[in-house]
Amino acid sequence: MMKKSSGLVTFAEAREAFKAEAVLKKSSYDIKLSVPPQEFRKGCDLAVEFNIFERVGVENLLKEKRVKFIDIVSIDTPSTRPLDAVKVFDYGDSVMVRCGALKITVEKGSGLIRNISGGGCPDVPFLYIELVDRRIFEARRPKELGYSLCALCLDRAFEEALRLYESGHLGHSPN
Amino acid sequence: MSLVISGTVPIRDLPLLTGSVELKEHFVKLDGHEIPCTMGTAAMVSAACRTCEAVRIASPTWITAGDIGDSKGSRLIYNYLIDKLASIKPSVLSLHYLMPITVLATKLIDSFGSKKPVLIADAGSMYVMKSIGASREFDLFTPDPGEMAFLADPSASHPAYMQRFLFEQDTVDVPRLVEQAYKHGNASRVLLVKGAKDYVAKEGRIVAVIEEPFIPTLEPIGGTGDTVTGIASALVSYGMEVEKAAITAARTNRVAGKLANPSTATKVREIIVQIPKALEQCMNENAKTQQDHVE
Repeated sequence: MMKKSSGLVTFAEAREAFKAEAVLKKSSYDIKLSVPPQEFRKGCDLAVEFNIFERVGVENLLKEKRVKFIDIVSIDTPSTRPLDAVKVFDYGDSVMVRCGALKITVEKGSGLIRNISGGGCPDVPFLYIELVDRRIFEARRPKELGYSLCALCLDRAFEEALRLYESGHLGHSPN
Repeated sequence: MSLVISGTVPIRDLPLLTGSVELKEHFVKLDGHEIPCTMGTAAMVSAACRTCEAVRIASPTWITAGDIGDSKGSRLIYNYLIDKLASIKPSVLSLHYLMPITVLATKLIDSFGSKKPVLIADAGSMYVMKSIGASREFDLFTPDPGEMAFLADPSASHPAYMQRFLFEQDTVDVPRLVEQAYKHGNASRVLLVKGAKDYVAKEGRIVAVIEEPFIPTLEPIGGTGDTVTGIASALVSYGMEVEKAAITAARTNRVAGKLANPSTATKVREIIVQIPKALEQCMNENAKTQQDHVE
């Protein structure tokens, strides 16, 4: 039986599932091979079960090690897809974009990341230190630097703020 | 009452540290290590320390370790708490930035036994306690509106997986979300929802709404929610009833924000230094209200 708050990595071939298991265990992730529920079966009937809160770290590591997987899903939620909706708040000289509980605030004109707030996973304060006071068009993406679902939400907010900047909505004239 | 705060800091491979902290201008010092006072548990601890100083009680004990999202420091903290909590015997335990790990969180809850301290949670600790169905063990959760929508969603294990219609509601109908969270057993005894309006709910009923002073630029500043949790934790440790501590913390944070005259680029440490002055003002107002009530 799968634990609550589990995520599943699904594969087309069992060989890739075994490879993923080895790679993730070597990096101390608490994972196990399991048979996915019917609704998650997409290829070979073998998946890697992991703590869904560590989604970004798991995904980045598998990509880095060139492990081929089909998808990563949460077993708990009806949608199984992370939230992608955002809200935008205008503060006059800056704009805050929020996805879930994660917020990024970018100065109009310069594109400087003025603040990051919200969230609860330990990589959020790390991302704050890495990203605040950098220009959004030069900064690395939160999902490249972070490990958690909070990093994924922040990445979605970052993506929208960058889109607003690049489309000239933040008082910047795109080239 | 003794306050113990547990939460990680974003320093790679920092070992497990415990003890009282020393506040400096730009960092906090613990066991010889200098930790930047940015958003997260460092801000929460700093706010708690300022509050403890102001009400003249002992500083909190901080249990921390480095974690940049790889869960290493979180595991150290969970395991330390599971092993040692019975001997530390805190009267108030505040759990903060920890990677949600359901197996360890369940063991932690089991380790309390019959002598449970006053329990407060925010951030990742709040997420995991909701996920394992332990919300009702807690005396206080301090979500922001996005996190409140997550608590209201009976199936989501993280705000990233909450249903979209709840995300849409979080800025317009917080009372409805509070009602849903209590209905599904995913709320603590007292809830403090930190937002444009702060809501304090107790056992399913909203008991206070705090709107003034309204400083819109507080929301973007990383750590301004953490400071509320820190102030509330310290006030409970001081002996204040949880509901009153939540209300006083919400007011104090707003007044401290106003005193700092913030922009969206302000750093949380600029607000933390204003806490003693803000708290004095709010405590005086509390005393006056109590006196008016008696008269």
